[in-house]
Amino acid sequence: MNRTKNLTVAAMVLVAVAACSEQDPTTVDSSLLPEQPVTVELTFPWGDFASNMAVYGGYGTPPQLGTGLVAKAFDGKLDARTLVRFASYPVSAVVKDSLGSTLTDYDLTFHGGRVVAFFDTVASEVPGPVTLDLGVLRTKWDVGTASWTMAMDTVGDKEPWPEPGAGPVESFGTAVWDPSAGDSAVFVLDSAQALAWQPPDSVTDSTTVVQGARLSLLTSGARLKLTSVALRLDTRSSLNPDTALVLTVGRTDLTFVYSPYPDPPTEGMRVGGVPAWRTVFDVNLPTTLSSPSSLCAAVRCPVTLTPSQVTYAALVLHTKKEDPAFQPSDTVSLDVRPVFDPSALPKAPLGSSLISTGVGRRLSASLFDGGDGTAVEVPITQWVQAVLADTTKTGSRTLALLSAFEPLDISYASFYGPNSPLAPSLRMVITAGPAVEHP
Amino acid sequence: MSPRRTFFVLALVATTPALGGAQSILNGAGLGIPVDAVDARSRALGGVGIGLQGPSILPGDPASAARLLLGTVVMTARPSWVSYGRSDTNETGSFRGTDFPLVGVAYPAFGLGVMTVSFESVFDQRYHAANGVTVQVADSLLAATDSFSSKGGVSQVRLGFARALSRNVAVGISFGRYGGSLVRRFSRTFNDSIASGSLGQFQSGGYWTYAGTEVTAGASADLGTVAHIAGSATWSSHLEAKASSDTKGSSASYDVPLQLRLGATGVLAPGLALNVGLTRANWSVTGNGLTEGTSARSTLSWGGGIELSRASLLGRSAPLRFGYRHSDLPFSLTGSAPVETAWTGGLGLVLKQTQDLTHEALTQASVDLSFERGTRTDGPISESFKRMSVTLRLTGF
Repeated sequence: MNRTKNLTVAAMVLVAVAACSEQDPTTVDSSLLPEQPVTVELTFPWGDFASNMAVYGGYGTPPQLGTGLVAKAFDGKLDARTLVRFASYPVSAVVKDSLGSTLTDYDLTFHGGRVVAFFDTVASEVPGPVTLDLGVLRTKWDVGTASWTMAMDTVGDKEPWPEPGAGPVESFGTAVWDPSAGDSAVFVLDSAQALAWQPPDSVTDSTTVVQGARLSLLTSGARLKLTSVALRLDTRSSLNPDTALVLTVGRTDLTFVYSPYPDPPTEGMRVGGVPAWRTVFDVNLPTTLSSPSSLCAAVRCPVTLTPSQVTYAALVLHTKKEDPAFQPSDTVSLDVRPVFDPSALPKAPLGSSLISTGVGRRLSASLFDGGDGTAVEVPITQWVQAVLADTTKTGSRTLALLSAFEPLDISYASFYGPNSPLAPSLRMVITAGPAVEHP
Repeated sequence: MSPRRTFFVLALVATTPALGGAQSILNGAGLGIPVDAVDARSRALGGVGIGLQGPSILPGDPASAARLLLGTVVMTARPSWVSYGRSDTNETGSFRGTDFPLVGVAYPAFGLGVMTVSFESVFDQRYHAANGVTVQVADSLLAATDSFSSKGGVSQVRLGFARALSRNVAVGISFGRYGGSLVRRFSRTFNDSIASGSLGQFQSGGYWTYAGTEVTAGASADLGTVAHIAGSATWSSHLEAKASSDTKGSSASYDVPLQLRLGATGVLAPGLALNVGLTRANWSVTGNGLTEGTSARSTLSWGGGIELSRASLLGRSAPLRFGYRHSDLPFSLTGSAPVETAWTGGLGLVLKQTQDLTHEALTQASVDLSFERGTRTDGPISESFKRMSVTLRLTGF
């Protein structure tokens, strides 16, 4: 009998499970929908939603990029030089002797080599073949603080370069890079030059110690982005002199110095560069709406703005062509983040990106050249909804515009500021309708 | 699983609002479609849940529990499959769902009578509507979908008492409390994007909870061994729909009409009985509180069927039932007179039977099944449905 009861219960459970595969009665009959809402577009000028704009610089340093830069009189004024410090030379290599046995050779002879510089062919501004110079640095420098004029600029140690522009150097030769022929330039080294960056057994005079290499451009009017620099050593094995080895020496430091350093903008917004620039401003969102008439016809004005009514919100910025020397040559990834503690600016920490793509709002480099004054929108819908609901994680009403990857490049993006006819604005698409009533 | 535990589980299932399935697009009219809280036996006979021979737990027939000798649990599940069409727009569709219109418990109370507790569905308000629209944003025309969902309904918990006044006459009364809730949500989803990104969804809606009181009183009588008659009346207070604090829509109050029911069963021959019943209510009084576009009217529902009680299956008693039912629906989307009609049939299966102290057969566990095939019409709207009801009845815990 228990079996019977169990079967009965099982049958009832089956019926209950059938309820889980429900399909609600669904119709396209519009008469079963409540009164339609209206969707309107509103544009708020800068003064109606934002204030206290400020531009801050100094975020990040060139070595954080992991890339180099060389330029000479680019746009008539920008000079840049790349500094590199190589790692220790290899002390052994695995080779096959004359009998074919694999052995480790600890007695290597370096009889020549090459320094190879690799370039970003897209991000480089280069009219044609250019000549580069490789020099040996003997001045002690600090990778984190080296600049055009200072070899070292730490708290306890400030040392200028003997010559501005990371000089002087002992030239090891030149190389020509033809962008149409490849992505690298090769500096050939003789046996003595190949040993230049090998630390001596005993150091008695620090001024004689080689401190790395400097790459500079001899051809004017170009700006090249280096993706990597490598030292390759032609090596002879003591175990099998007929075996030719090429050993690569890694680098420990890579940075660049440049001049002139851009002045802060007197008007407008700036984003990017290295050290990077950020633009910060306060936002005071409108909370009630009294127009347009189509909105007021659907709902009684003034309408208190609620998060669910905001179907779209975006900052509208207008691109600005500024200093061509620092003009973007590749896609700009623009990010916007809330500022946690505005009183701590410029060192205030930032919140998460408001741009859902994770890579920022990508803008073509051409918008900052021939596309001057082009309107670009940076969607911030979810943040606006959170502000209206008072559920932002930080409570902050201050936003920072910055590069999505910071620092990314020496170039920066500029936008017209509040005092311009092309001042930033806030575009919102609002959907509002009568309250849904009980039947 | 013990009957007690079985009941507990099934009651939990039945009272979980999310499992209450929707069965008609006409749920969108007024307060929705009335859910008849009857068991599968009554369904199979085309009845309106009153005037059946034998003890039972039927909320519309409070006296019917008077002759229950032992603790009894009934639970009814009702899956249905519906095809929907509109002659004016050529729209068609289909949907399915399961609801649990009735869970009831009866227990003899100290020799004074029988106490009953039941959980019932009253109105089903679940439906979904969608409509494609074009929205102008700046210089762009964007495609969007407006959709609206209504989820929930009115339910009721009822406490009753039934007593046999004599060998042939019984009376019963029950006090019910309306409950349940309704979520109505509108959303506009933009299918097109603008140049710099997609538009978010607009949503608005509200949440209402139901409250109200009703009293049902009824009586039944056996006319010898050849007939059984019963009648009941239900009075309700206003049905209050209270909006939650964050709902912009307002609260509402509805008049609920007096509902009258009559039913009778006559024995035509040994093992063959005829059951008929009708119920009437003037729902037009409720129409005053409804939104524009919905009409309400007075309704009369009637039905009847025959029961062959001597049929058996695999050596066990398995009564066969056939019937027909006609129900006016109180609320209309089109201003016409919506009607539901169905041919019905079913059978009962005795799962366990024993003998009581007087050596009379006593059913401890049984299942009643009913099958309906019917139509619903409201002006150009028509639905054809197949519906099944399953009632589990456990006695003697």
